[in-house]
Amino acid sequence: MADNMNDINENEVTPEEVSTEVKNVSGDTVNAAKVMKKKDIGEVTKRQTAMKVAVQVGLYIFLGIMAIIVLFPFYWMIISSLKTLDEYNASVPTLWPEEFRWANYSDAFAAGGLNLGRLFLNTCIVGIVSTILSLIITVLAAFAFARLEFKGKNALFAALLATMMIPGELFTITNYVTVSEFGWKNTYTVLIVPFLVSVFYIYLLRQNFLQIPNELYLAAKVDGTSDLKYLWKVMIPLAAPTLVSITILKMMGSWNSYIWPRLVARDTAHTLITVGLRQFDFSVPGRPDMINYPAQMAAVVLITIPLLIVFLCFRKYIMKGVSKSGIKG
Amino acid sequence: MDKKNNWKAWLYLLPAIVILLIFTVWPIINTVRISFLNDYGTLSSVGGKKFSFGIDNYKNVVEYSGFINCLSNTLLLCVLTVPISTMLALIIAVALNSIKFIRRTMQTIFFLPYVTNSIAIGMVFMAMFSMIGLKVDGEPMSIGIINSVIEAFGGTRINWVNAGSSKVANMTVLIIYIVWNALPFKILVLLGGLQSVNKQYYEAAKVDGTSRFRTFWRITVPMLSPMIAYVVITGFIGGFKEYSSIVGIFGENMGPVGDAGSLNTMVGFIYDNINTDRQGRASAAALILFLIIFAVTMVNMYVSKKKVHY
Amino acid sequence: MKKKFGAILMAGLMACTMTAGIVFSTGCGSDVAGDFVMPEGGFDTQKKIEITFYHTMGKNLRGVLNKYIADFNKLYPNITIKDEAIGKYDDVFNQISTEITVGDQPNVAYCYPDHVAFYNQAGVVQTVDAFLPGSPYADMKVTRADNTEDYYCITQEEKDNFIDIYYNEGATFGDDQMYVMPFSKSIEVLYYNKTYFEEHNITVPNTWDEMEQVCKTLKELDPACTPLGYDSEANWFITMCEQHESPYTSVSGEHFLFDNATNRAFVEKFKGWYKNGYVTTQEISGAYTSNLFKEKKSYMSIGSSAGAANQVPAVVNGVAPFEVGIARIPQVNPEKPKVISQGPSVCIFKKNDPQEVLASWLFVKYLTTSVKFQAQFSSVSGYVPVLNSVLQDETYADLLNGANGYADGIAYLSAKACLDMANAGNLFVSPAFNGSSKARTQVGILMQSAFLESKTIDEAFKKAIEECRY
Repeated sequence: MADNMNDINENEVTPEEVSTEVKNVSGDTVNAAKVMKKKDIGEVTKRQTAMKVAVQVGLYIFLGIMAIIVLFPFYWMIISSLKTLDEYNASVPTLWPEEFRWANYSDAFAAGGLNLGRLFLNTCIVGIVSTILSLIITVLAAFAFARLEFKGKNALFAALLATMMIPGELFTITNYVTVSEFGWKNTYTVLIVPFLVSVFYIYLLRQNFLQIPNELYLAAKVDGTSDLKYLWKVMIPLAAPTLVSITILKMMGSWNSYIWPRLVARDTAHTLITVGLRQFDFSVPGRPDMINYPAQMAAVVLITIPLLIVFLCFRKYIMKGVSKSGIKG
Repeated sequence: MDKKNNWKAWLYLLPAIVILLIFTVWPIINTVRISFLNDYGTLSSVGGKKFSFGIDNYKNVVEYSGFINCLSNTLLLCVLTVPISTMLALIIAVALNSIKFIRRTMQTIFFLPYVTNSIAIGMVFMAMFSMIGLKVDGEPMSIGIINSVIEAFGGTRINWVNAGSSKVANMTVLIIYIVWNALPFKILVLLGGLQSVNKQYYEAAKVDGTSRFRTFWRITVPMLSPMIAYVVITGFIGGFKEYSSIVGIFGENMGPVGDAGSLNTMVGFIYDNINTDRQGRASAAALILFLIIFAVTMVNMYVSKKKVHY
Repeated sequence: MKKKFGAILMAGLMACTMTAGIVFSTGCGSDVAGDFVMPEGGFDTQKKIEITFYHTMGKNLRGVLNKYIADFNKLYPNITIKDEAIGKYDDVFNQISTEITVGDQPNVAYCYPDHVAFYNQAGVVQTVDAFLPGSPYADMKVTRADNTEDYYCITQEEKDNFIDIYYNEGATFGDDQMYVMPFSKSIEVLYYNKTYFEEHNITVPNTWDEMEQVCKTLKELDPACTPLGYDSEANWFITMCEQHESPYTSVSGEHFLFDNATNRAFVEKFKGWYKNGYVTTQEISGAYTSNLFKEKKSYMSIGSSAGAANQVPAVVNGVAPFEVGIARIPQVNPEKPKVISQGPSVCIFKKNDPQEVLASWLFVKYLTTSVKFQAQFSSVSGYVPVLNSVLQDETYADLLNGANGYADGIAYLSAKACLDMANAGNLFVSPAFNGSSKARTQVGILMQSAFLESKTIDEAFKKAIEECRY
């Protein structure tokens, strides 16, 4: 197996490959300019400006169409939460509610009762703690794989990737036995620890780190900057957008996780939102076998919207920080 | 090689490795063990049943009449969806990165699918593709949004997913669904990668008056190549595990009504066996799948080694 | 030296995990007692015991349950009942299947018979034979907190009060032992558009031959309709086997017996109905059969009695579009009617401490034999009670008197029809074994592929048998 692993050497960046024209961190000259040198700078004509406008318009039309496509389910979620049960249940779905039933939202609150707050709190705790810990572990591991040289690196990396290739459903029973032996049931630990490490994220961040020219690191080494300081001051700010992505994915993971939490933590203090939501009673009063799906959808919207707002603010804040610190590092 | 880095690297990796050993490597070892216990079932094992060592599980998997179908569906979906979704995501990400007006709003819009409940996504597909109230002797109650559009342009309607639909139509819908599902993540990753690209490359290109197309191929793609490689490789790994999209559209029978199992995949087969307490068979199938994914990933790695610019 | 540090660390960790793993695998698993043996001195009314009960109840039903748990606690203050709504039936099933691996299964759970057969591969389901009339403990009594005495076992009288078919279902696992107690049930019934039937003088069909005639008539009256919607192809197939007295499955020996000439013949016949546009199913039409019925695209609908509320059309401008009637599903031989019955039972799991098992039993006995509980639970859930004497319960009888074919009375109309059929001995249940749910799925698929002609009838049967046996 070890022989095959040599193929994974793709990340080996030897100093020879690095363009010598990148002189310092701020990089006032770049080799890309060299590639383009055949073009005449002064050749900006009116025709080109017209082209430019056309391209911009084309871009907006393309993005607009794609936006409608990706937004459709989100739109559907919102209108479904506002339909009456009869309209929702009709054989032929309607694209716009015939009658807006805002009471679905109060029904959702009624179904969940005070539990909603507790579920939200539990999920926030698990989401935030596991995201922070997961980021630390991911950053350290990705840095080791992207920048440090050590024996067995490629084999280890390949082994990590290999773990992604087995369907995780097969792990459930063994992990359940493990956490039971550890006595972790009904704790925050069991909701957080088993999923802290994701090879998926380590790989993602490693790739992002590899985008950052190695000579920045070599220069820092010459200056005697410690690895951790370099990581903190240069790598993390440069990889901020990817770290934001990982944060979002990890938080959404906590928000949507269902099978594992239900298996291992169902007491009031540790029940997560998705598990709790399935236990709410959305049956129609007096008609117990009918489920009030619009109210259920309203509950989904209710737990999603705050999350969305937090993300948008958070993302904006981070991006601001990045542009202030300047991509220059 | 700097020897000092050796222990330092392992130290950085320690937390990840410890957790992986306990919660990932150990279950994998168990999976391998179980795959070699003939007809192993977890519950019967708890009940005290003993299992002999052998390769019956592997034999059973390969001899299953639907095995080739599961395997070919898995491969087909992978090969078709990964390139499409990657190209599309790349174009959208670059477009998002190169517009100025309402740029942030646009980026936010493409982020919304993340917070959309999967039930809603399933419902939308029903509304788009599903014919409702299909009859042997008359018009259905609804032909779905897509068919309405097709007929408005003078085309003939297609039975996409309902009883009696063709495999080509089923696969088309599946590909659209999978690509659609994969897009937001890929856009997010590629956009993140684009934002890490040093702006000065573009400024230099601008000064040179380089065309957009050239800039895209000569700067964007090479600078983004590690992220593209990531998206492709993990796309393949995930694609081989395709299952939930088929359940989402066609239900547990893994095929349109009247042709159950026609769209089954390897992981679908694995799930069936887990649910009937045949962990031995499920484990054997998972390891066969593993060997295939591993081989494909090696090829991917080999290609990306040649093409990726670091 | 340092170069090897990583490797050593790795190896060390590996070794640790391996050893830990070995400890786990020996630590978990079967620590279950055999058949129940009464502890000396009977039930210990001083010992604190916690009983977990997994179910699928929503808030309203849980309200009823909690009321009776409170009453139960007055009798046995040392028993704490922890009831947990896990989710749907499949959720309960998956949850317990996993928990069994470490011996953490609940004490009592809602179950379908095929779930019990599945759990019992691990030998963890407690048979209740020790608590039935005729058991060696039949004369023993427990003194409760209110100083009343009660038998541990159910008495002959209590046994007779159970609707026979439901009680007997507990022992359909092939070894004559009783594994489950019935909890609440539903039956497949025929809903018909009573208003339309009366308008056109159509008689509700009692046999399949009459059904064919009615379909023909309806088709002539309204060519655009599909006269009959059948909710579940699998139920249809299983019911037809039973009505024809033709084999379906067997709990022992060769399990899958459904490929025979009689069964092929009825599939062929119904395929003809489908081709004539007489009948459709939920899956084939891509619309809920209850919706087709409500929207007057069909005039008859066969489905679960528990879903009665879904069969009633929405009131438009204060007027109900039509009245719904409920009847027994058509028969092959009306002299010996057979109607399929489904719905949750409760099972008890083995535990090391016999006191825990005993407490579980006392709780199950309390719920399943309480007429008041059964009455109230049924009136809220729309399910059919499992006790004959529930009919004598005043509140429930009142509710049944208010039965009608509109939204406010349909649940009681369906309960009434079901109780009539139950008392007349019309019901049957299909046997449960590990693989019975697979057979169910496969015969459903068989009907679909035969109707749609994606396979010939011969191929469809062969394929179903092959899949069942794999």
